[in-house]
Amino acid sequence: MTMAARPALRRAIPSLRSSTTHQSPQIQHSLRSFSCSSPACRASPAGSTTPDYATPDPSRPTHFGFETVTEAEKRERVAGVFRSVAESYDKMNDLMSFGWHRVWKDHFVAGLNPGFSPLGTPGSDPRSPQHILDIAGGTGDIAFRMLHTAHVVNGNPDVTVTISDINPAMLSVGRQRAQQQLTASQLAATSFVEANAEDLTQTKPLAPDSHSHSTITTTATTIPTTNPPISSSIPDNSVDLYTVAFGIRNFSNIPAALREAYRVLKPGGVFACLEFSKADRYGPVFNTIYKQWSFGAIPLIGQLVAGDRDSYQYLVESIERFPSQGEFRDMIVDAGFVVGGTGYENLTGGVAAIHKGMKPRAQ
Amino acid sequence: MSSTAGAVTGQIARCVQRPAAARLAPIASRTTTATNLVTVHCRPAASGRRTLSSACLLLRTTQSPRLSTTTPTTRTIPTCRAYHSYDHPPPPGPFSETEQAILSAAYKHVPEYGFSEEALALGARDAGYLDISTNLLPEGAFSLIRWHLVTQREALASRVDSNNNSVEALTWERLLGNKDVIRRWQEALAIMAQPSHVPASLKELAMLADEILYLSGDTSVDPSWYTKRASLSAVYASAELFMTNDFSEGFQDTRAFLKRRLNESAEVRGVLRSVGEWVTFTASAGVNVLRSKGVRI
Repeated sequence: MTMAARPALRRAIPSLRSSTTHQSPQIQHSLRSFSCSSPACRASPAGSTTPDYATPDPSRPTHFGFETVTEAEKRERVAGVFRSVAESYDKMNDLMSFGWHRVWKDHFVAGLNPGFSPLGTPGSDPRSPQHILDIAGGTGDIAFRMLHTAHVVNGNPDVTVTISDINPAMLSVGRQRAQQQLTASQLAATSFVEANAEDLTQTKPLAPDSHSHSTITTTATTIPTTNPPISSSIPDNSVDLYTVAFGIRNFSNIPAALREAYRVLKPGGVFACLEFSKADRYGPVFNTIYKQWSFGAIPLIGQLVAGDRDSYQYLVESIERFPSQGEFRDMIVDAGFVVGGTGYENLTGGVAAIHKGMKPRAQ
Repeated sequence: MSSTAGAVTGQIARCVQRPAAARLAPIASRTTTATNLVTVHCRPAASGRRTLSSACLLLRTTQSPRLSTTTPTTRTIPTCRAYHSYDHPPPPGPFSETEQAILSAAYKHVPEYGFSEEALALGARDAGYLDISTNLLPEGAFSLIRWHLVTQREALASRVDSNNNSVEALTWERLLGNKDVIRRWQEALAIMAQPSHVPASLKELAMLADEILYLSGDTSVDPSWYTKRASLSAVYASAELFMTNDFSEGFQDTRAFLKRRLNESAEVRGVLRSVGEWVTFTASAGVNVLRSKGVRI
């Protein structure tokens, strides 16, 4: 569906939305079994079959922590949260998770193994270029690990990473860190864009800050070489690996973001998500301790260290509101991805979980 | 089972095997709770399976969905059974169509590249996917090993010779299924011995033993149902290990090894049976002697 057609469709079927969102799952099941049996529908779930709930609508209610707000308002308020925490973000992560978030992120990236290529026939260079899109990648935690794995561990310099975030404050922190931590070649393979993950047709390269002499090159697929603020689109079928770590629960419309991921990924491309989840795998005692920690201690730490209690209150509430492992896996499948095995991997008893999906080949 | 008597035995087996199945089920579900509700694309299914999936959906409706936008799953995968059922069709394998495409292509590269990420990535390329697509397989190289185990086990039924379906012949057939990859099998055993993969590997071994005994026409419904499977599992595992170092013509040494082990386990079973009979006889005789002395038992 083109962007222009979306509002028209929304106007045409206003009554469908309420019936889709409030319908009993069983009726949906019977509806789905018809559409599923037709290969044409399965091949293009992001096409004309996009359900209404997966179309961004600024006035639709969603949740912000335990509050109910509209999608547009959530976007604003999430932006506010991350503007206020950007500076202390990494310090807070270490304090809140006892540094354990580094282990999760390392495991996440090592499992994805970006830049890996089989040896192939001797003499030929088997390394194929890869384009990684790190959504909500703000401070670059995941992107820098990706670059290290791809360039150093797997020896594949043809891996480029586009760090995308809706929030320029987070991106600025990321770019600062990139200039301190990355080698020149890694820096050259990195680009920063400001984009809303629910609509990657509108991206804007991060405005250069006046102090730096950085040579942030932009990949041809994302941004024209002229500097900002020309908005451009991430084209269809252009990304090998789409990652989002601890970001997707802040999205106003998760199904829309999943469909957008489906659109930009190449067939065979992988959607990978690292996110907090339901910590129910080690039994109720562990879960109780975890809940006590997150609702009791984390807002307090936020108040003491970052001077911002409300943002961290939102953080723990949003974790609580995020769907369980199985429900989120179903949302990924619903967006057209195929999943292997259970579709997710629990980390630390389900405190966090890794979800992976692959875009199937067009049939 | 052609004769009437055989059919009757089958009936009894069916009736009595259910408790055994019920006893096994919790074990199976404990290891695969997570796979119980894996979603996959909707396909016209047997009515039994459809009932199951709607039952799951009903179950889901009772939980309050956190997001109104969450759509229910359209398909569920029943968990892998750890025993052979007479009453139900076999559950679908653990691999989806896409996984099958990648794994079957990757399997062709195993003799050269081993059970490795390389083989998987080459397989993904052959199947028309990207290097990164191997991330679909949740267990990486172990998925490839599992593919070998599952496909070889399932192929056993078609290779069974109706004249000679002894346990030994079937086990030998299964061992021969390893011959293309036997020089890489030590690597595979090393991966299977990693703690996170041990439960899945043992379950696969148990299912193989069950398959072999089922195909050989075993209808035991007593505790020997378990002992037979346990001893066959041990024999098969040791024979497989022997085979990885067997360079003899047509793996004749392995065959001789297998025969010796099966004979030994038969001997042990015979000895155990004799000891059991002696204990029973002596005990009842002892009771009778005491009764004849006027003890009220």
